[in-house]
Amino acid sequence: MSGCPGSRTMDFSEKDVQNESETGKRQSQLRQWPIQLHLVSPQAPYFQEKDVLLVADCVPFALADFHKDYLKGKSIAIACPKLDSDQEVYIEKVKSLIDDSKINTLTVIIMQVPCCFGLVQVAKGGAEKATRKIPIKQVVVGIEGGVLSEEWI
Amino acid sequence: MENILDKEIKGIIDAYPEVGKILEEYGIGCAPCSVGSCLMKDIVGIHNLDPQQEATLMYRIEKAVYPGRDIPEPKVDLTKKAAPKKIMYSPPVKKLVDEHVLIKRLLALIPSVVEYIENNVEVDKELVLRCVDFIRNYADKYHHMKEEDILFKYVDENAEIIQVMYKDHDTGRNHIRQVVEGAENGNKAQIKEHLFGYRDLLTQHIKKEDEILYPWIDRQLSDTQVGEMFRRCNEADASVGDELPKKYENFINKLEEKFLKEVVK
Repeated sequence: MSGCPGSRTMDFSEKDVQNESETGKRQSQLRQWPIQLHLVSPQAPYFQEKDVLLVADCVPFALADFHKDYLKGKSIAIACPKLDSDQEVYIEKVKSLIDDSKINTLTVIIMQVPCCFGLVQVAKGGAEKATRKIPIKQVVVGIEGGVLSEEWI
Repeated sequence: MENILDKEIKGIIDAYPEVGKILEEYGIGCAPCSVGSCLMKDIVGIHNLDPQQEATLMYRIEKAVYPGRDIPEPKVDLTKKAAPKKIMYSPPVKKLVDEHVLIKRLLALIPSVVEYIENNVEVDKELVLRCVDFIRNYADKYHHMKEEDILFKYVDENAEIIQVMYKDHDTGRNHIRQVVEGAENGNKAQIKEHLFGYRDLLTQHIKKEDEILYPWIDRQLSDTQVGEMFRRCNEADASVGDELPKKYENFINKLEEKFLKEVVK
């Protein structure tokens, strides 16, 4: 067990799944396109005065009820703080979301691996540059899908 | 047990003092509360105990009220979320908690202020009225009005715990009216009685808010409501300007300096 925790190979396919119902269809709670942070315009109508999620790329794969528990009623932008380039653009976009689109809150959802905390730094960087102040929440998701922490920062 | 849950806590503790002691063990300080009109069921819900604690608490209370009854061992609802160990406030609520700090600094100075007044021949009316100005314009107008006009609107204002908070605010205002009357008449005993009354009231009031009420309200707020409340509180602060909190912080700094010097003398 060595190397970067963000890319270390782990297999939890033997994990017990308890009492989960797979019957019925669920509807997507996504109400916008695009979603990648480089592709979205921070001034898009779907961001205006909304509660916005800034989500690390891996999160929706780990968090089984992501649509129901987090995406519902919110707008979203996704990014990978480890692999994406030109992240100074991301900071400017967060600033613009806060100042120009006057978003209500920003919730940053990341994986527990250390490199993912870079996305929180992006959010904080944009918030520090912005004139308006808004509440920012940090949610950390474990690699096996549990919510490890949820707090206002 | 259902009929106990729907009763006011003061009546229960008066009839069964052991219940007050049991609540104390769980950090629920209802016994010394001056109002005591909260319903038993609300008290248990508001304190957000973990399921095991809540079940054990209710079992012990039931045993205290009905000692002769055969009461089954507590059943634990494991689906209920356990209480977080550390209190985490949302940003707008955290701002209100931070404002309590300056108010608590004045409360800590009240014994020195009273001693100073008692030891001087004439009542230092200006000193008393400056303390009253802080209480009326910072503690009450700047802070309590944000609670009454914004925070409390996000929960059921008829809930007993909110009614208790309103009553505390009113009782505090009455104490301050008496302090002003005492200063106008040079009545040291009246000033002392009501400044201490205010100090005792606000000390308990702030503790209740920081530890019980604010976390209870926070647990009910959606992210959208947190953002909206943050904006409304900022607008309320902006309407009075940045200078007001600075002015009163400066006043407290000077008051602390004055009485620190008095102690050293």
